[in-house]
This record gives sequence, C-alpha cells and structure tokens, in this order.
Amino acid sequence: MKHVFFLDGQEIPFIPGQNVLEAAIAAGKDQQIPYFCFHPALGSLGACRQCAVKMYSHDSKHPPRITMACLLPASDGLQLVTLEDDVHTEHREIIELLMTNHPLDCPVCDEGGQCHLQDMTVQTGHSVRHYSGPKRTYRNQDLGPLVYQEMNRCITCYRCVRFYQDAAQGEDFGVFGSRNRVSFGRLEDGPLESPFSGNLVEVCPTGVFTDKVFRHDYVRVWDLQQGPSVCPHCAVGCNTTPGARLGTLRRIRNRIRPEINGHFLCDRGRYAFPYATANSRPLQPRLQGEPSRQDAVLRQLASRLEEGRSGFLGSPREDLHSNLGLFALADCLHAPFAAVTSSWAEALAQQCLALPQAPSLQEVAAADRIVVIGDLDSIAPMAGFAVRQALRQGARLTVLASSRTELAQKGDYRPLRPSALRDQVARLADDPCLQGGRFPVLLATAETLGPSGLYALRKTLEKLPANARAGAFVNRPNLFGAAYFAADGHTERLQQALRQRKINHLLCLGADPLGEDWGAGTWRTLAPGLDGLTLLDMVDSETARSAEALIPVAAFPERAGLFVNYEGRIQAFSPVYRREAQVLHSAVHGSGFPEAAGGLKHPLGPPPPLFWLGRLAEMLHLHEAWQKRLDFYLHFLCPEQPDPEGPGVLLPDTIRARFEIAALPATRAVTPEQWELDIFRWYGGETLADTADELHSLAPARGLRVHPDVQAVAATLHGPCGDLQLPVIACAEMVQGVIAIDQEGFAELGLYPGDPVEVSWEQSR
Amino acid sequence: MSVWRNISELGAGLWTTLRQLGRTSTVSYPEEPLNLPPRWRGRPVLTRDPDGDERCVACQLCSAVCPTRCIELQAGERPDTRRYPLTFRINFSRCIYCGLCEEACPTLAIQLLDEFAFSKEHHADFIYEKEALLIDGTGKHPHYNFYRHSGVALQDKDKGEGINEKTPVNVRSNLP
Ligand code: SF4
Ligand code: SF4
Ligand code: SF4
Ligand code: SF4
Ligand code: FES
Repeated sequence: MKHVFFLDGQEIPFIPGQNVLEAAIAAGKDQQIPYFCFHPALGSLGACRQCAVKMYSHDSKHPPRITMACLLPASDGLQLVTLEDDVHTEHREIIELLMTNHPLDCPVCDEGGQCHLQDMTVQTGHSVRHYSGPKRTYRNQDLGPLVYQEMNRCITCYRCVRFYQDAAQGEDFGVFGSRNRVSFGRLEDGPLESPFSGNLVEVCPTGVFTDKVFRHDYVRVWDLQQGPSVCPHCAVGCNTTPGARLGTLRRIRNRIRPEINGHFLCDRGRYAFPYATANSRPLQPRLQGEPSRQDAVLRQLASRLEEGRSGFLGSPREDLHSNLGLFALADCLHAPFAAVTSSWAEALAQQCLALPQAPSLQEVAAADRIVVIGDLDSIAPMAGFAVRQALRQGARLTVLASSRTELAQKGDYRPLRPSALRDQVARLADDPCLQGGRFPVLLATAETLGPSGLYALRKTLEKLPANARAGAFVNRPNLFGAAYFAADGHTERLQQALRQRKINHLLCLGADPLGEDWGAGTWRTLAPGLDGLTLLDMVDSETARSAEALIPVAAFPERAGLFVNYEGRIQAFSPVYRREAQVLHSAVHGSGFPEAAGGLKHPLGPPPPLFWLGRLAEMLHLHEAWQKRLDFYLHFLCPEQPDPEGPGVLLPDTIRARFEIAALPATRAVTPEQWELDIFRWYGGETLADTADELHSLAPARGLRVHPDVQAVAATLHGPCGDLQLPVIACAEMVQGVIAIDQEGFAELGLYPGDPVEVSWEQSR
Repeated sequence: MSVWRNISELGAGLWTTLRQLGRTSTVSYPEEPLNLPPRWRGRPVLTRDPDGDERCVACQLCSAVCPTRCIELQAGERPDTRRYPLTFRINFSRCIYCGLCEEACPTLAIQLLDEFAFSKEHHADFIYEKEALLIDGTGKHPHYNFYRHSGVALQDKDKGEGINEKTPVNVRSNLP
C-alpha cells in the first residue's frame, strides 16, 4: 500500500517511520520547508525551530497548529500547510533570530554559493536585518591542516557534534560554553584526530567549517567543473564528486551512494587528491631521466617490444580498462603478464576473490554481530565508519588484532599475534562472539590476515549461518579487478622469465616494483637483469625515478575507467576535467586567457594509459588484434557497462568460483620466542595520498612499533632481501613480541605480515 | 492673414537658428576632452580601500554576473588569511560596460570609471591584467572598507575590533 500525506495539497509519498521533513526532502519537495538541524544521515533534533509546518487535524475539534516537520512522524492522509502567513512569518522570524549575530562574511566565506544558510535566507525572504546592535564574536581554533574554522558563522544546529561524536564516534570534538555563547571545536587547538573529520565541511550548513586544502586554491562552486567519480584510494570505492577549474583539481566532495558511502567520505578520500596537482607529478615523458617528446619515448618503447623480450606488469592501483589494455597487448605479443608484484599478493587477491559475495557497507551498518580482523580504519576507513554505525544500533563488535586500535577500544579486543590470527579465525564459527546474532559480518584487512587466513575465513563462513557475510579490504582501488585475469603463478612465471634472461625489459603500469610494492625486495635483486624498464604512472615513485622511460598518464578524475571494489562491484567513473598547465599570468598577452573568455588553449595534460597502449599497438601494427582482445575481455568481465551515476554492477558469482581452487602458498611457522612482523598503516597512507602535502603532514613518524617493554632506541631487522634500520617507537597498545612496520619496510626486507624476523636491538645511538 | 503668420513663424525659426551663431556645443572629440557626468559607465577598474590596500576579495561575484563572461580571476590568500585576487583579468574586447559587475561587487572594489574609448592593434592587447586594472585610489566611494565590517580577523584587526562587534566570548565560562 502506498502511503501519502499532503503538503500544500501535493501528495508526498513516505515510508512508515519517516518524518515529514525526511519524506518531503526525499520527494524533492523541500522548497516549502526550510530546515537546518535535520540531516538525512544524522536525523532530527528539533534544535533550530526552522522547519515549521501547520498541521490540520482530521476532525474539526482541534484547531490547526504549527509544529516542527522534522519531529512529526509522517502518517497517512496528514494535511500540512506552509503557504499560510503565520507559517511564513515563523520561518522568517526564526531565520532572523539565527542571523542576529551573523557576520557580514559572504564575500570572503568559502561556503558562499553552496551555503545552506544563504539558500534558506533567500528562500524565506529575510533580507533586512532589524537588529543593529553589536554582534557576538568568537576566536577561531586551529584545527589542523584539513578543516578551517570560523566560529562567528555558527547557527547552533549541532550537526557537527552529532556527526563527530555520534556518527564518527570521535572523542576530540565537542560543544563548549553555555546559553548563546556555545562554541563547537576541540578542547585545545590541534589537528582533529578522527579519520572522518573532513565531513564537518559538508555537514555544517554554514561556513563555520570549510575545507582548508581547497581554501588555499579556492574557487567558487559555480566555476567548478564537477562530475561523477570513484575514490581511487582503497577497495571500498566510495563515490566522489571532484571539482576542477582551469585544468587543475581543486577539491573532492562526497557523492551520495547509499550502498557504499552514504553521505560521507574518509579524510583520505577527501584530501588525497593533490596527487593530481603535486609538483612531483610527472607530466612530461622522460627518457633516461630527461624530459623527452611523446614520439621519441613511444618509438623507444616500440623498438623494445619488437625485440620480443618484454614482460608486462599491471597493477591493482590502476583501473580495469587500463589493466585489460596492458593484458591484451601482452597477449598479442605472447609475452608474460602479471597483475600484481608478488606471488604472495597474487594468492591474497585470489583468496579475496574466492570469498562469497561481500556485504555492502550499508549491510555492514545493519549487522548485529561484527568481527573485525586487523586495523580496518587504516586500510578502508569508511568500512570502519560502517562498523561504527552498526555499533550505534547495538551491534556486538569483536576485534582481533595485534594492537589496540581505535575500533578495538569500542568493542571486545582480543590481542593476537598475526600468526595466531589464522587459527583464531578458523575457530570463529563456534565462538560466542558470533552467537545469537541475526546477521553476522566478518571484516578483515586482507594483508594482515594473509592468504591462508583468508582461506580460513572462507571455511569459517561455510560453517556459519547462510546469511553470514565476509569482506576483505586492501588500500588499492582495483585489486579485485586486476586479479580477475591473473591466473595462478603468473607473477612467479614473470620473475622466472627474468631470472632465466628470457626477458630483459619490463613494461609496468602503475606499479612500483622497485619501491614499495609487495615483493619489491625480490624485484630489486632481479633488477640487474633488466636492460630497461618502462613505466606508465601518475606518481613519481622509486620505480619512476629509475625507469628507462617514464610515460605520464592522466589522473583518475581526468579520464574514464572502471574500478572493481571489495564487493566485486564494478563502478565507472567519467572524466571530470582536462588537465591543463595553469597560466597564472599572461606574460604574453592572451596566452593565458581561458577558452571560455575567448583566450587560447593551454597545453593539455597527459592522456590515459589506454591511449598510450593503443598508440603502441598501432606502431607495432597490432591495433586491430589488440582492440578485439580488449573488447572481448571487457565484455567477458563486465557484459553490461555500468553507469557512472548508478550503483555499479556486481560481478557474477561464476567468475568468483574460478578462484575457489587457487593454490595457497606455504605459510611459515612462527615459534612464540620469535619476533613477528605486522603491518602498520595510518588512515591517510596510500601511494597516491602520500604525495598530498596537507594530509601527509599528519602522518605518524616512520619507525618500528613495539610494546614498550623493549628497551631500545633503534633496531635493525634482517630479511632475505636486505636489512632495515629504523628507530624504535614504543607503543603501549601493541601485543608483545610483535613488530609493526610500514609497507616500504616489508618491501625492503622481502617479508610479509605474519613472518618471523630476526632483530638486533640497539640500546643507544 | 495666414501668410503673415507663416512669415512670422519662419522668422522665429530663423531667429532661433541665428541666435546659435557664435555658440559652439559640439566638442571636437577626441582632440578635446569630454566632461563626463560622474555616473558615467566607462571601463571597470579595481579600486583600493581608504587604507590603501586592494579592495577586491576575489569573491567571483563580478565574474559570475558578467553577461559576456569577460572577467576571470583566481583567489589568493595572504598569510593572515586575507583574500585577494591572485590574478584578475578583464577582456575589454568583450566588455560591454553594462555595469553589472559594479552592481554585484560587495566590496565596492570594481567600479566603472570614465575611460570608455581605447583602441589597440591586437585583440589580445585588450586583456588587462590586475596591474593594469588596479588604480591607486578609492574611486567613487572614498570611505568604505569591507574588512572593517566583516567578522574575519586579519593581521591588523583582531576579533571584536571590527565595526559593531562585541569582544570575543569566553567559551570556557558556564556562568549564566
Ligand atoms: S555561512 Fe553562508 S550566509 Fe554565512 S557568511 Fe558564509 S556564505 Fe554567507
Ligand atoms: S558549527 Fe556548523 S554544524 Fe556545528 S552547530 Fe554551528 S552551524 Fe551547526
Ligand atoms: S574509504 Fe577508501 S574509497 Fe572510501 S573515501 Fe576512504 S579511501 Fe576512498
Ligand atoms: S565582485 Fe568585487 S570583490 Fe568580488 S571578485 Fe569582483 S571585484 Fe573582487
Ligand atoms: S530541522 Fe526541524 S527543528 Fe531544525
């Protein structure tokens, strides 16, 4: 049965349980009801008194009365009116009250043009301030490099605290003061600690909290080029709206996708975008480290490929299209191809894929028994956010990890060494922590759990009730896409070919085999056998610096493509802007004027990988065969092209089934006396994100994290591919006997999480 | 009778003409300068506030309202967070002197002063950069200073020091 109520005589459909305002907003009929404190994801509070409507009772006994739409449950046949004078007076007078102390800031306020307060003020017709007395002022706080505060503009709607404390469950932000002097911020100046702090910018309906990174290169929203994109910084694949102007990327905003990120983004997703504008980003082809011309680099590469001694290396950091393009080229040339840089990572990807359909974040938020394995917040922050939403609904959370993470403090924490995780996961089916729930969900950080742990997870899932779901996360946007066409042993075969000198050239796409990718230690020992390495990438990595030829590629918002997220959801993104060199001053008159105003065109930025690969195929006279293969693979993996504005399409289960039989690499046994390695990450860390200055300035110090019972200032770790010396950082939250290092550390040592390691401690410097 | 009337009217008309002999109302522009009324709309300039600092805060309202889209600017930020236009260009081969930018400008920075006829050899020379637009004066509004009215703090103006502002509240106090 369809439920409707009437707003000014118009039918508004609603779902039982919704309030009137929520239903009106959902129906796009909110022009008549101004509001502030209500937010679709934060609910009603009734604090601002702005959303008045007049309710007529069904009988004539009760006179009509004015009430708050956000606190009025929608019910069938309700008659509501806003077009009467008394309602309108209420709207206008309430907004005038809220505006009493509002500063004259619009021209210098970054919210201007996208300001809810501006919209509501214009909508209600409040245009003259009757109060002419002095205005209240506040001192601002320095909230770190990401969020800018201008407290004068507050209208006390409490959305910010409700987001920060209730939804994001952060602890370092709150409301201070009393009566009409309340203020929203931290106890003391300092960076906001929550990985979701950037959402304050979108949640606050005024310009109190604005984007500090955007602020430094600001442009009004009406001049921004915007479009649908997908976050390239982890496997969740949150939907984003990048905004660009004059050929440079300026900001990232959330794009509402109920199944995944809802109304929010994590700080990595929001603030890592300067990788596209960083000075270090390669924009010109390089040959032997020197800037070069497109055709020179392509000719060099084509002659390398003609020799027939090339290997191909794709990457989970690149999108599906480009990886398939590379795969198709390798296929045409009958050359070895791998999608990931080590056999361990290959097994990891395959085990991730073999897991049955993972829950969407919307489903995670509805779970009532949750087990989190590893530090979820630091890999896929929005997955951690979904867990917090489930916690608010009373879910029971158990965290298995080698350190007491922020999430672990919110649930039952089981301190475990990484090598013990696998056995613990294998026993979870009978564990009390999952008993008695309607909807159990298990979420793992894939790298901490490792391939054999993921295998154990799959077996556990088989023993759990049929509706139990599991998801595995990595901080790469397309591990699941890259791995689909990587058969067993691809990486080993590629490395073997190099060892046996069958190949002497490597064409890499978005990979960093000589820098921080998994197995980089092995690649470094193999590097002397390489005569040349060509890299197509958008960051200046270790590999980029030592590559024979470097071919720059378009950043993700500059091109179209497909990412496959942790659920196997294929999401499309479309080009939002064209990278152009920004001319800040037309030294030569006219050369700097934008096209829109009749000026000349700027030099364009680098094209996407598929363009380069296509050119290469042309030069090798393979274009037709290459295109045919590319289309075939694409159609096989993704028969139906997803719409960038839509929810994406899920990969069919038949494709997953191929991976259930994948071989498991042997795991190393660890004795309790041995030191064991775990991976340390922070929520803003990821290859692209590391080049974003403001976000990166918050990164914790590099070092080796151990329990404080170790008395040492530094230590040297010994691995099969090299030694690594790092300062010791005592960390009380760590489990004894575990050493946590970053991914670069693992790459240098040639080890993987859960491996035993030899350590020599140094007592003094 | 009508003949006499016709003659006298002819005479009156002739007298009106003859009366103008010796008077000149034609200005031999461009040799002679024009005496333009103060509200004349010539080409836009950027003015300074009474303290001598540039008025424009790079709010982009002028470029948004401009019907020929001939204004283009990029905001910059000083260390004390004061906003200013890093670049500001107007393409005068497109400007139609409509004055909408002046009307939209909340800081009275952009003003249409009296220069209206200028010629160049190349179209591209009509693109005026900020240096060519910014004048050393307040233009038609000698007293207005936007930043004294707005609530943001600057290097030389703390919170509460603006016009019509109270001293900052003590948020640590819970006293009624
Ligand atoms: S919060 Fe909105 S209304 Fe207030 S100064 Fe900023 S843009 Fe203007
Ligand atoms: S700071 Fe913004 S979100 Fe918070 S109460 Fe004030 S206006 Fe609302
Ligand atoms: S959770 Fe992952 S996909 Fe979502 S915004 Fe953060 S980094 Fe991007
Ligand atoms: S409207 Fe005025 S203050 Fe705003 S950018 Fe234009 S000149 Fe500057
Ligand atoms: S939105 Fe209803 S009272 Fe604020």
